[in-house]
Formats: sequence, C-alpha cells, structure tokens
Amino acid sequence: MTNYGLVIDQERCIGCQACAVSCKQENNVPMGQFWNRVLTEGGDKLDTPAGGYPEDGQDGTLDMAYQPTACQHCENAPCVKVCPVNATYTRDDGIVEINHDKCIGCRYCMAACPYNARVFNWDEPDHVPEEGTGDVEARPQGTVEKCTFCSHRVEEGLDPTCVVNCPADARIFGDLDEETSTVSKYVDNYETDRLLEDRGTDPKTYYIRGEMSPGRPQTSDKLESELDDEDNDEDDDAMPYLLGAKSGGDD
Amino acid sequence: MSSTESSGIAVPAFGRKGKLWLGLLGALIVAGLAAWGYQLTTGLIVTGMRNVFSWGLYIMMFVLFVGLSAGGLIISSAPKFFHSHRYEGFARLGVLVSLACITVAGLLILPDIGRPGRLYQFFTSPDFRSPMVWDFGIVLLYGALNLWYLWLLTRRDLAAAGSRLAFGLEDTEAGRERDRKFMFWTATAALPTAVALHSVTGWIFATQIGRGDWFSPLVAPVFIAKALVSGLGLLLVVAVLADRFTRFRVDREELASLGKVLGIFLAFHVVYLLAAERLPHAWADHFEFWAITGSFLIGESAYFWLWTVVGGAVPLALLAIPSLRKRVPVIVTAGALAVVGTMFEGIRLVFTGYEVANIDAAPGISLGGSYAGVGTDIWATAGSYTPTLIEIVVTLGIIAIGALIVTVGMRYVPIQEPDGQHAYATDGGHEDSK
Repeated sequence: MTNYGLVIDQERCIGCQACAVSCKQENNVPMGQFWNRVLTEGGDKLDTPAGGYPEDGQDGTLDMAYQPTACQHCENAPCVKVCPVNATYTRDDGIVEINHDKCIGCRYCMAACPYNARVFNWDEPDHVPEEGTGDVEARPQGTVEKCTFCSHRVEEGLDPTCVVNCPADARIFGDLDEETSTVSKYVDNYETDRLLEDRGTDPKTYYIRGEMSPGRPQTSDKLESELDDEDNDEDDDAMPYLLGAKSGGDD
Repeated sequence: MSSTESSGIAVPAFGRKGKLWLGLLGALIVAGLAAWGYQLTTGLIVTGMRNVFSWGLYIMMFVLFVGLSAGGLIISSAPKFFHSHRYEGFARLGVLVSLACITVAGLLILPDIGRPGRLYQFFTSPDFRSPMVWDFGIVLLYGALNLWYLWLLTRRDLAAAGSRLAFGLEDTEAGRERDRKFMFWTATAALPTAVALHSVTGWIFATQIGRGDWFSPLVAPVFIAKALVSGLGLLLVVAVLADRFTRFRVDREELASLGKVLGIFLAFHVVYLLAAERLPHAWADHFEFWAITGSFLIGESAYFWLWTVVGGAVPLALLAIPSLRKRVPVIVTAGALAVVGTMFEGIRLVFTGYEVANIDAAPGISLGGSYAGVGTDIWATAGSYTPTLIEIVVTLGIIAIGALIVTVGMRYVPIQEPDGQHAYATDGGHEDSK
C-alpha cells in the first residue's frame, strides 16, 4: 500500500514563504485564505525572534524558527470521523481529501481539526487573476477546503508543489510504507516530532528539529518513486540523502 | 372547530392582543426569512464567524433550544411512567413547548449550513461515525415523538370537541382506557430518547480533541443537567404567562412544587457538576485552599459569571428562601434566569473551544474574510466572535416560529388538562370556569 507523508526539516527552512505562495498559486486558493502557512516560532509577529539582544544589558537569548504548517494528513483524522456526509475522506494512498460536491458546509471538520488547517469559503471565492490559477477543481461558496498534498500532481507522478518549490530542500514527500523512500529513512534516522502528538491524531507530517538533515535536492519535479533506476544510479553519489552516504555526515 | 369554554382550549379566539402578538411573530419570521435569504446569496460572510471561530450564534442557540426542549417532555412523561398524576396540569403544555423548542433547534441548523441545498447528503451519504449524524437522527426522532405524544394526550378531547385534529378518532371510554396504556409506553420511550438527545448533542462537542474544554467526559451529563434546568425554567415561565394571558390555569401548588424541583436541578448543575469538573484539576495542581478556590474564581470570562451567578446563584437563592419561593413572580424570575444562565453556559462552551488556537504562532490562521487589497489583515492568532445583526434577525425569526407553534397550539389543541378526578370524562374538561 502507498501511504504518502511529508518530512519538513525545520533546520533547513529559511522562512522564505515559497511553499505557502506556490501552494496558493498551484491550488487556486482564494484571496484571504491560506492552505499552507509558514509560522514564526519566536516573537509575536512574522519573522520576529523571541528573547533579548546580546547587548544593552539584555541576555542575548534571541531565538527564532519557522514552522511550515498545513493539513497534517492524519492517520486518525478527526475531520474524517466527524464529517456527517463522507465529504472528507482518506484516500487509499493516505491523503485526506474533500469531495467538494458532497460538502454541505457544516464546518464540523473545522471544529475537529486541532491544527486549524481548514478554511471555509465564507463568500464567493475571489481569485487574482479572475479566471484563477492552477489546474484544480473549483470550490464553491459555502464549502470547506484545505491542502490535498497536491493530489492532482501526485496522481501524475509529480511531487507536491510546495516540495518542488522549496529552495532550501527542506521538504521531502514520499511513501511512508516504502522502506527505502527518503521520507521513511528520515523518519527512522532523524529525531522527528509531529504537531500536537498528544492528541493522538497520528499525523503523516514529520518535523526534523535539532540536527539538520541533508534534505532532498530537487533534481526533477517527479515523485521519488517515479525516478527510474537510471536516475537513481546516476545520482547515487551526488545525492547524500540516499542513506548509504548518510553515516559520514553524522559527526 | 369548536371553541366552547369547556373544550380545554386556552385561546378560544384571538382577540386584539392576540392578533397583535401574532402580527409581531409574523413580522419577526418574515424578517428572519429575508435575512436568511440575504445570507444565502451573499454567503456566511455576513455572519461574525470566520476560519478560527467557525461556529457562532446559530450553534450556541441550537444547544440552548435542544436543552429547552427537555423540560416539558420530562415533566409530562416522568410522572406518567410512574403512574402518578403529579404535574398533570403541565403535561400538555409541556409537550407543546418541547415540540416548539425542538423545532426551533432543528431549524437553527439550517442557516448555519454553508450549502443547505446539499442537506440531502445526510440521507444519501451518511457517515455513522459522525456525532452530527447521530444528532440529526435523534432530533428528528424526538420531534416526531413530541408530535405523537401531544396528539395522544389530547386526541380524545379533540374528538369530544369535534375537532378535525382528531383525524376521525372517536371519543370512547375504551379508547381513553387504551390511550392511557399508550401514554405509559410513550413515556417509557420518551425518557431514554430525551437522555439520548442531550447526550448526543453533548458528544458533538465532547468527542473533539482539538478544542479546549470540549474534550471532557462530563460534557454529556452536563448537557442533561442543563436541559433539566433550562427546560423546566422555560416551562414554568410559559405556564405562568399562559395563565396570565389565556384561559389556561396553573395549579399554584404544582407550580411551587416544580419551583422547588428547579432549585434542586440548579444545585445539581451549577454547584455539584461544576465542582466535580473543577476540583480534580485544581487539587492536582496545587493542594492549597486559595489555589483551589482561585481556580474557581479567577480567569473566567463574563459568560461564566453570567451563567453561574445571574443564572445560577441568584435563582437558586430565590428558590431556596422559604418566604420567597412560593411567590409566582419569584418562580417566574428564577425560571427565566435559569434559561438565561443556561444560554450563557452554552455560549461559554463554544467560546472555550474557539478563542484559543492550539498552534498560535505568528502570523496565525487566515481568517477568510473579504480581501480588501494590500494592507488587509487576514490573520488571527486567537478566535474572536460577535454575532452580526443578520445572525440575530435570523435567530429571532426562528425563535418566533417556536413561539408561533406554542400560540397556535393553544388555539387549536386543548392544553388545559381536565380535572384530575374526571381526567378522562367524555366531556373534554371543565377547568376554564375557575
């Protein structure tokens, strides 16, 4: 079985918002809404640190990190369980998706989601340009929408757009059930945590904190599983993220 | 249709005041419909709800009216279950009020739905794991049960009065005898259905791990308690108002006795259950007198105080003081305050779920309001909510439908229970001469 998941290396993330913006464009996300947000862990405002400066008698504890946050595609997704009409469901490949034709707009899923990953079309969605961007299904007024792991791209054998457009190689997408996939290896080998793990939602988005991973340099916009053997062989030496090479980078 | 004085009809005909009242209700309903129409075309953007605070007044009032619908049915069915004649004077009015409240509750869901046109999905594609599907089923069942029960309680009297609402039924002694059995069995079904209704509505919230205080096993029992409090409170208020403005007559003794019951319900809800909810956490936190007391008293919203003091301590005191508690105005005040308190308890519950976001790092969550160009702040790190005029008008319109059901019910259904001794005398009751 395929079980798609995402690893985000917060040590690599530079807070450039490319994933957030490319997501908006790829998925034609309406004005005033975001499926994918890059949050600042630190001060009260975007891109501000917590703590004090190392001068003027302050303690020099300035600290800031970025936390890209979108739908976590939980294994035990509360939104799927609360949807009264089966509009939100888990696909066979593990992606949590919404059938916009079924959605009645009751917003129980928004109450259920501990991550506030879902947004509602409170009025007729606005797009710039008006005809919209991206080759995705339209979501009408009165329905809920959220990150789909770019299922329309994944079905074509392409990585989600946030992964392809990350200039810091901080996002890795792949099959968690495939032992040799980079996501599986990173989950096994790096210290990862998941958001609000105590709620038992079992998210499929993993965050690397502490030790920076080599990331997954994007050589093509194909899914890792779509890269043919030739590609892999060729790149073996050049791509430190393939695990054989990992031991060296550890110390 | 007969409207003779002996028929038990509380409002034989609408007088000037009655027509004025109907006109007011009609105006509210029309205004509500217009507001809903506007909301349907413009979208829920015209409400105060946004992505962080995504349920508002409609759901808060839904919770209130589900609770309100309990009192009547329980007061009429509990004695029947125990083959007692107690509170019989309230039985029919109680079921009528229950029916009106559950109708209001059900209707309040409609304007909250983003695409009401797709509601048929509840039948074509239900997910039985969803507490909302359970609630949908139980609200329909409860409404149907109330309708049946009201008819069962009054149908022989309707037949005696020659009302078309008897649907061709005859008023016979044997029929009344049989109905008494039906009433027992209906009461037997009504009690667990009422418990299920309030528990399931509680579980809509109590199953959610993502929303603060919602995820608590106590929520369902609290919903039962607040249904008892608010439902009985409303019934007492409506009964006294009906006594004042219609031919319906309230038995003072029963009223005072139900007032006492309301006091007990209040003590159970506002004192006991609240303490049971708070004490273990406070104890585990710091076992020290002021720490425990402090956690009860500090850091609570205005809604908490409106609930516990205005809607809890005050009516409880009114109903506890022997020199006061038998006075009709005191009972009405206590009942009304209990309803108001329960309303704020529900409002507070929704607020505790939405005002704090679990992940509140900057810039926060996109609100999804209208985008007005560069400079629009679309972000929020915490939930805030104020209902808009549209929401208030729609809600009032739906509540007016409930009031209309009670009013029309009093006009066409014999709400006045016949005298106890002649409970099932063929002639439908003669209380009105009192």
